[in-house]
Amino acid sequence: MPDQSPERALERLLFEGKLDRRRFLGRAGGSALALSGLSAVLAACGGVEGEAEKNASTNASKPATANHPKTAIGTWVFANWPLYMDKKLLKDFDKEYGGKVRYVEEINDNFEFFGKVRQQLTQGKPIGRDIVTLTDYMAARWVRNGYTEPLDKKNIPNAKNLVKNLQSINYDKDRSYTLPYQSGGVGIGYNKKKTGREIKSINDLFDPKFKGRVSMLQEPYDSAGLVMLSQGVDASKANIDQILKAIEKIQEENDKGQIRRFTGNDYSTDLTKGNLWLCVAYSGDLVQLQADNPDLDFVYPEEGAMLFTDNMMIPKGAAHPYAAETMMNYLYEPKVAAKLAEYVNYISPVDGIKEFAPDIADNPLIFPPDDVVQRLHAYPALSPADERRMQEAMAQVTGA
Amino acid sequence: MLRLSLRRRRALLPYLFLGPGLLWLVVFYLIPLANQANVSLQTGDPELGYTFTWHFQTYVDAIKQYDTQFIRSIEYAAVATILCLVIGFPLAYFIAYKAGRFKNLMLLLVVLPFFVSYVLRTVAWQLILTDDGWLADRMRDVGLLSEDGRLLATTGAVIAGITYNFLPFMTLPLYVSLEKIDRRLIEAATDLYASHATAFRKVTLPLAVPGIFAGSLLTFIPATGDFVNAALLGTPNQYMIGNVIQSKFLNILDYPTAAALSFILMTFILIGIFLYARVLGTRNLTEAAL
Repeated sequence: MPDQSPERALERLLFEGKLDRRRFLGRAGGSALALSGLSAVLAACGGVEGEAEKNASTNASKPATANHPKTAIGTWVFANWPLYMDKKLLKDFDKEYGGKVRYVEEINDNFEFFGKVRQQLTQGKPIGRDIVTLTDYMAARWVRNGYTEPLDKKNIPNAKNLVKNLQSINYDKDRSYTLPYQSGGVGIGYNKKKTGREIKSINDLFDPKFKGRVSMLQEPYDSAGLVMLSQGVDASKANIDQILKAIEKIQEENDKGQIRRFTGNDYSTDLTKGNLWLCVAYSGDLVQLQADNPDLDFVYPEEGAMLFTDNMMIPKGAAHPYAAETMMNYLYEPKVAAKLAEYVNYISPVDGIKEFAPDIADNPLIFPPDDVVQRLHAYPALSPADERRMQEAMAQVTGA
Repeated sequence: MLRLSLRRRRALLPYLFLGPGLLWLVVFYLIPLANQANVSLQTGDPELGYTFTWHFQTYVDAIKQYDTQFIRSIEYAAVATILCLVIGFPLAYFIAYKAGRFKNLMLLLVVLPFFVSYVLRTVAWQLILTDDGWLADRMRDVGLLSEDGRLLATTGAVIAGITYNFLPFMTLPLYVSLEKIDRRLIEAATDLYASHATAFRKVTLPLAVPGIFAGSLLTFIPATGDFVNAALLGTPNQYMIGNVIQSKFLNILDYPTAAALSFILMTFILIGIFLYARVLGTRNLTEAAL
């Protein structure tokens, strides 16, 4: 997500003053977030189970046991994406449990962050963070290479509130190492006034009438995922050939000038300004953009949409696992989870929060209805080599 | 303490003065450069890390794969440099010879944009060129832009952005070299019946060559490696080599290719500078600079 960095930084700067409002715009970066909400949502994740045994290696194969005895919380570090937390919750946490959380908004992109800490991880050195929040495919990489500490579930009794369909995922069968933070849908955000019609299908992205007015996400899991759904492929079970074919289609459209940009979260500026009419977009972003510009809408296309989850993990050798687990437990209290969902507008992985969040309970983007849930597809599980081929192919298209 | 003869000490003195500068270059230039050279010859994958293997093939692959972006970067930078020269020369000439008591004010105006961040200024252009903006609408009104045409996200926007951002780097060296030309030389030329145009061509212009040289280098080199303008004002079809290197380093974590691309770019630029200096005449340059 190249362009992003400058623009991202700028947007964050511009919106900094508004952070206390639920402002998610600047959360840039390549990709991100989350899902959760209804247990139902996750029906979609069905595909997630099954698959991916091939990848299970170091961590996933041996049963994890952890024993992190109760200690003082101390000063500990929580690394997360920008604008992804209601800071009041952190203050409440410090008040209730003691200690002091150092909350760092340093993850702008899964790969960029991994690049930053990779060396310490491979050398088995602690990276100085007690919780990191990473998207499925990156979480899978950490679990597979043993970069994470197992969770001591005795310290996280609220983990029982995890929605049913996320309780197991291909890279972490019984959630020994990871706990979902938020989930989100990847669909189409568009400007009704500009398109002049309701958008329903992924193929609308390629309508010649919208030439040069369309953006796609740079992340191939998102963009190629949607294109595969339009080609009738079950995106959560896709193999590398199907993915490469979808990327070829994106290439074709790009060569025709159909696609204006490949973006991280930074499509929001161009979408609100009318430069972009249709974007491959994250559901949570559109909730907020809609509040500012009623012409904007988000659609889970009829062919289906992608669903991603950001996961909390304790990096190997972290100094404060007990503090990290206490925080995870806190975030899984339905009342707290409701506050978080109201703030970030993504889909919460915590069950039973609707009654605590009356303001957003009717929003289909935050609590997707059943028929939508049926159409949500989790990311496919790819081997490291296939993942790399996919990324290289996509980089060719995005000119980077 | 070691006693050195006066002569020896005299001989060492220049190196002593060079010391701090050399140290700076070694620590902040040579060591990182050597490290990058090392990285560019590694193989491996982003997940498990890279190891050094003398893998020169990376360079070959990088050129093959990204020749489009290389050529594009050089084209864009060259066009922008020429535009900067065309705009910057009259500007510098005016400031040096005609601005009178406004000279300092005008110089201040030239550097004023630097008080605002580069990225911010480029984003400002994004707003000015926006599809439904005032400028695009007026151009549609007078027929300069077709109904579905656009200004933003085009090659023109990227080159204009680069030209705008680097114009001061061209103007200032031009100003300096024009300013220090001995006016009496021009007077002498006109006294000897040269027309103003001939005096300009035979006296002013040749003496301004060092400024033209310095200005075009200061513009061309950073412009070739620029990625901000292409990222903010262009589309993937305008991406330059800087965009590729940035994404290889930060998003794909393919460090060897990124490092190799950086070295290839550096080589291109060095060859280019060398040829350019030959064309303008190196002796000429150093003499004129003195």
